[in-house]
Amino acid sequence: MNKMKNLMNGKMVPKLLLAVILLLVPLLFQNFNYGLLICGFIAVYVIAISGLDLVFGYCGQISMGHAAFFAIGAYGSAIMHKYLHIPALLTMIIASVAAALIGALLAYPASKLVFHFLSLATVAFGEIVYQLAAQSPGGITGNFTGFYTESINLFGFQINTNTRFYYFALVCVVIFLSAKHRLVHSREGRAFLAIRENAHAADGMGINVRKYKVMAFATSAFYTAIAGGMYVHFVKFISPETVSNKQSVMFLTMLLFGGTSSLAGPVLGAASVLLLNEGLRFAERYQMLIYGVLLLAAILLMPGGIYGVIQKGQQKLRRVK
Amino acid sequence: MSMLLEVKDFHYSYGNIHVVKGINLHVKEGEIVTLIGANGAGKTTTLRTISGLTHGGGVKGEILFNGKHIQKMPGNKITALGLCQVLEGRHIFSKLTVRENLMVGAYTRKDMDNVKRELEDIYKLFPRLKERSDQFGGTLSGGEQQMLAIGRALLGKPKLLLLDEPSLGLAPLVIREIFDAILRIRETGMTILFVEQNSKIALETADRGYVVQNGEIVLEDTCENLANNEDVKKAYLGEQ
Repeated sequence: MNKMKNLMNGKMVPKLLLAVILLLVPLLFQNFNYGLLICGFIAVYVIAISGLDLVFGYCGQISMGHAAFFAIGAYGSAIMHKYLHIPALLTMIIASVAAALIGALLAYPASKLVFHFLSLATVAFGEIVYQLAAQSPGGITGNFTGFYTESINLFGFQINTNTRFYYFALVCVVIFLSAKHRLVHSREGRAFLAIRENAHAADGMGINVRKYKVMAFATSAFYTAIAGGMYVHFVKFISPETVSNKQSVMFLTMLLFGGTSSLAGPVLGAASVLLLNEGLRFAERYQMLIYGVLLLAAILLMPGGIYGVIQKGQQKLRRVK
Repeated sequence: MSMLLEVKDFHYSYGNIHVVKGINLHVKEGEIVTLIGANGAGKTTTLRTISGLTHGGGVKGEILFNGKHIQKMPGNKITALGLCQVLEGRHIFSKLTVRENLMVGAYTRKDMDNVKRELEDIYKLFPRLKERSDQFGGTLSGGEQQMLAIGRALLGKPKLLLLDEPSLGLAPLVIREIFDAILRIRETGMTILFVEQNSKIALETADRGYVVQNGEIVLEDTCENLANNEDVKKAYLGEQ
């Protein structure tokens, strides 16, 4: 009933339009498989960065080692699938739960650290996971050679083409973004914001600061690990290169470039940075330089990211009206 | 009237420095009580320890809230018991809107329907907060921030409200406004304990007062008697 009313008011129209466009993307790219591949990657990164946004944008805790959770999701899922013969979707979830637990274990002592000390701790954690992936005990991860795996099999339906993966990823994005939306507008979400703004005052309001920092970190790790799992079963290959600190920097770049603490920010950030990446393939050796310039530009020129610029524009328009 | 807060033989040291030397005080339900005294007398330390914001290692003595020992409890648990402190310097969430700030205050509440009703009550108490409800907390003036901090604490529905230096850094007219609001809050049956350097307005507002000097309580009486006490007049009210 309510939805019908919204429809009449025209509030739902942009959302429906967006949904239709997103559903039709594979048709648009019918003869351009590569475009669809990029869209699949964008979806993976949207989930990874939305997770980072929970801990960085909402809770104000910086993480420079989120590639580690991506690695735990990817390697965990692929290895479990190969050696324990568990279906790929299930292994993704198990690996992500494990990542959330590891995230909580890391966050519990680290929750006492503030900004730059916390970022150092997360850098160290990222490096540890990278080293474990690159020189694993018994070579279980395939070390520098990398690890091959299979695509996801949904009750006999192989998600092995770009189109199929695109739809699968779209469903995942909708699920994870709705969950994020619910979380940040709940009591817990308010606690995150209060901690970001002023941890002392938050404590004075009866908020258990440590508990919520751990919670934000664990949830964030879960998101990024799911993205890692999606990535590995999409590409069917993972190597330490993909989970180095370069990846962590890219996550942060995407998030800051798109705009923190919003639903749209990570989407805009993932899409724009990935498209830029593809556009600048010929200049691959300068990738880190480009990230650096982008980060600087985002911090100096548009502190709210692309989403912040859009919001400001909307506010101006409203004032003119 | 039953006893809401009891502090018994409370000592506090920062390392080797013994700042509070055996304070005894109590607050009964429905009272407004004030602690007055000079800088460094130990007033704020006492208040901060009651709400669990000091480091537990330096605490000696007993603090009972509603019959429960709270001297070693972490701050957020004490708040959940119904003891809420408005911090010195206010600690507003500057990047959250006024409304969001108030809603964080209701964090310990589960009865959201009542919270919405009480939010309107707070807007009635401080109409200026309603005008500015969509503005960021950081853009408010000092007085408005103090109102917001008090409103935020009230939305947690505390049994006892602690205020640390509500007049700090505010213009005389605004101080008046804040203290008028404190009196109106008391009419709703709230129990209040506050620390204040502006002894004149403190003694006009509260029912009873304690005079703290060098970490000890030197006088304890009704505010009327304190205001007429020759020593208090000389030392704190600036009268000859």
